[in-house]
Amino acid sequence: MRLLRPGDYVILVIAAFLVGASYARFWGPRAKGETAVISIGHDLYAEVSLAENRTMAVHGHLGDSNIEVKEGRIRFLDSPCPGRYCVHMGWIQRTGEVAACLPNGVVIEIQGGAREFDAINL
Amino acid sequence: MSASPQNLEISIEDRRQDHLIAGFAALAIAIHILEAAFPSPLPGVKPGLANVVTIVIYLRYGFAAAAWVAALRVLVGSLLIGTFLSPTFLLSATGACASLLTLGLVGSLGRRLVGPMGLSVAAALAHMLGQIAVAYLLFIPHPAVLSLAPLLLTAALVFGTVSGLIAASVDRLLRQAGTGSS
Repeated sequence: MRLLRPGDYVILVIAAFLVGASYARFWGPRAKGETAVISIGHDLYAEVSLAENRTMAVHGHLGDSNIEVKEGRIRFLDSPCPGRYCVHMGWIQRTGEVAACLPNGVVIEIQGGAREFDAINL
Repeated sequence: MSASPQNLEISIEDRRQDHLIAGFAALAIAIHILEAAFPSPLPGVKPGLANVVTIVIYLRYGFAAAAWVAALRVLVGSLLIGTFLSPTFLLSATGACASLLTLGLVGSLGRRLVGPMGLSVAAALAHMLGQIAVAYLLFIPHPAVLSLAPLLLTAALVFGTVSGLIAASVDRLLRQAGTGSS
């Protein structure tokens, strides 16, 4: 009997299709967020739409953090913190993404659409 | 109770079968443990070469023998590695059940239609799907588990194919050696 039989090919094709479908299903286009929630410490400061471009100043523990919204994305323009890690984070736009200026206590989190995750640890 | 000749014959046949199962289970357990010693790039990914044994047994001695070998491998393997009754053990058992079920179902299509290759690939995917389902529903009900699915299923497809090729050549070699019962 041959090494590979007709049914084997059928099963291989179905299997390959299944695996491909799983990529399409679970790794599909990433959801873009609709709004950004800005909070200071534990308190909600504002929920801004990512649809309209604007810049704003958020008064935190140290001073004003300047935040810019542009073309569906949001970023820290400047912040009165020593490291400027928040500024180096750059633009964020996907649901669940977070940019934070911890010294100033200002945190931006993208919301809306399907929520995603940024790390998996098992 | 006195043993009639007929009963005696059955018991000898049974014992032969038992020895076969024990021997092949030992082989599968050895492969299982050797594989566990290798580091894995992703949790849940391993070649699963022990399944070659299950498939070859299934083809030559039928479903019951294959189920015994798989069950013994999962049980004794987990006892030796030290994962008995741990989540790993439950995942392992789920995978074995899912792949055995698939083996039985796909195998019932007939040898002429489906060979070791198809059996192996189908069983490997069922194994992985079962494990992902249990991991997601029981242990980590977080979408992160599902986003691992494509990678895990790809690994299952690749390793299932490799195992299938090995199983196919082993089956053919055994057939040529003429020691086969099927």
